[in-house]
Amino acid sequence: MMSAYLSIEKQADVLKVGLKSDWVFDNVTELEDATASVISSDGKPVIFHCGGLQDIDIAGAWVLYDRSQQLAELGIKSDFVGFKAAHFKFLQNNIDMAAIREFEEEGGEPESHPWLKTGLEQLGKSTTTSFEEVGFISNSIMDGVRRPFRLIFGETIKQVYETGVKAIPIVMVITFLIGIVLAYQASGQLEQFGAKIFVVDLVSISIMREMGVLLASVMIAGRSGSAFAAALGTMKLNEGIDALRVLGLNPNQILVVPRVLGMVIALPMVTIFADIAGLAGGALIAIGTLDIGAVQFVERVAFSSDMNDLMVGLVKAPFFAFLIAVTSTLRGMQVEHSAEELGQKTTVAVVQSIFLILLADAYFTMVFTRLGI
Amino acid sequence: MEIVISVTDLVNRFGNQLVHDKLSLDVRRDEILGLVGGSGTGKSVLMRSILGLQKPTGGTITVLGQEIEYLKPGPNRHWGVLFQGGALLSGLTVQENVELPIALHSDMPLETRHELASLKLLMAGLSLSVADKYPSELSGGMRKRVSLARALALEPKILFLDEPTAGLDPIAATEFDKLITYLHDNLNLTSLMITHDMDTLFGTCDRIAVLVDRGAIVGTVDEILESDHPWIKSYFGVPRSQRANWASRSGRRD
Repeated sequence: MMSAYLSIEKQADVLKVGLKSDWVFDNVTELEDATASVISSDGKPVIFHCGGLQDIDIAGAWVLYDRSQQLAELGIKSDFVGFKAAHFKFLQNNIDMAAIREFEEEGGEPESHPWLKTGLEQLGKSTTTSFEEVGFISNSIMDGVRRPFRLIFGETIKQVYETGVKAIPIVMVITFLIGIVLAYQASGQLEQFGAKIFVVDLVSISIMREMGVLLASVMIAGRSGSAFAAALGTMKLNEGIDALRVLGLNPNQILVVPRVLGMVIALPMVTIFADIAGLAGGALIAIGTLDIGAVQFVERVAFSSDMNDLMVGLVKAPFFAFLIAVTSTLRGMQVEHSAEELGQKTTVAVVQSIFLILLADAYFTMVFTRLGI
Repeated sequence: MEIVISVTDLVNRFGNQLVHDKLSLDVRRDEILGLVGGSGTGKSVLMRSILGLQKPTGGTITVLGQEIEYLKPGPNRHWGVLFQGGALLSGLTVQENVELPIALHSDMPLETRHELASLKLLMAGLSLSVADKYPSELSGGMRKRVSLARALALEPKILFLDEPTAGLDPIAATEFDKLITYLHDNLNLTSLMITHDMDTLFGTCDRIAVLVDRGAIVGTVDEILESDHPWIKSYFGVPRSQRANWASRSGRRD
């Protein structure tokens, strides 16, 4: 049996394996395949002859050592002969490292104490598992990292979770409160004209067209825009960006693209939740204090607003997300020297993001009005 | 002697300040070249220029026969860098930090990648119990070791070390020196090391490059000690330098 890296020769009482060519990092995959074919069916000892090796490094030596360990587990002895001094040093090094396997076999889960498991602990556990699952998904994608593309994909999912999913509760709370405020303010005025049913129109249209997406964007600009700028700025300061570059990675690809993509995906999603919570706030006041029935409320919402109103809000979300993410990552990357600068750039990132959102919103409103949507 | 890194006529200027003026420097295969110089003499600027992280005003730099261009991929597969603060990615665990370069530059099976990364952690003198921790949970010395493990992940030919012992206590610093010497003796590495630590300088370096007068004076430890350049004389003449030199000569280099 022959391969580019080894030749196997059956002898009377041993299996002779001649190693050749370069046993180095670049060839590890092929080496793994080649060594997997080294097996003596009748339990004869295996002798690795290393005289024909051109070059070997730690990775190559590890593959060799790993195979000899696997053979030992099957009850087959293996030995190495003909090492040049330099080669042997590597292998000796690896044998010192045999602790790796032993360590991996130890460990295991610490024993749990069933009597300590109160209901509260269970509740906490079920909450954290659902969070952990999301983490696990993105982690398993991380595990598949081979090329930057996969890394970007994994990072994007992580960013959707960080900027979107985690922001949903707080965004829902504030839009719910704004829904209440709008309904109250409107009812005071409209009741004078006996037109309190129009409170529903006002709340549903303003939440869907403007307030939902604006509040979500401003909240996310504050939450994640600052986080982006600070994270990238800190990496700039502690040479993390340089570390990526010397590894042959483009920091813009690895750090900026996933954040922009992630936010563009996340913000429309958050906007939908914001709209729902805003309407719920309006409904609470309408039903609770204005004697508008639940059915009447829903009917009125359906009557006064249509799909266009919802879409006007949602269409703006990806644009706002793009503005926030690009502004804040750019500001983060501009940090050069000091912690003060990091703080300044973070502030600028958030202020400019919100400013640009409002500017874009004004522009969108003008365009939509002209188009009659 | 084979030249691994060659810097020719490097010029670096920041505004009115001329940091390097026609600086030339060669790093030979299998040596540890120590880089010293006063503040503002451009040690880091020189290293960053070699790594392609800094755009020089003039001059050429070749590493392993490849000319270095600003922000263009260099011989990434063949060099490892230990940054001063470690520069680990805080969002990844120790294990993932070391695996990242392997994952980027190789298609090897997942299990092998895990094992190789663990091996590198052990080589850097870490216990595998830190593998699942995040960099923020580690001490400064451990972070440097993780960073060294990452720098060694791809079996590099060249190792860049930026003040490897800065900020470590004397015991940890001595251990780190030993580790670097040990790895160097076993791995056919060529290293360029910025250091202010006299023990490190005398204990590990084969040659020393001193940055003075916007250029570099390069020589073996003895040659540099005999130099009559005033700055070099005062740098190596202070008591702590002499103690370190005396200590390394009386056979503490082990």
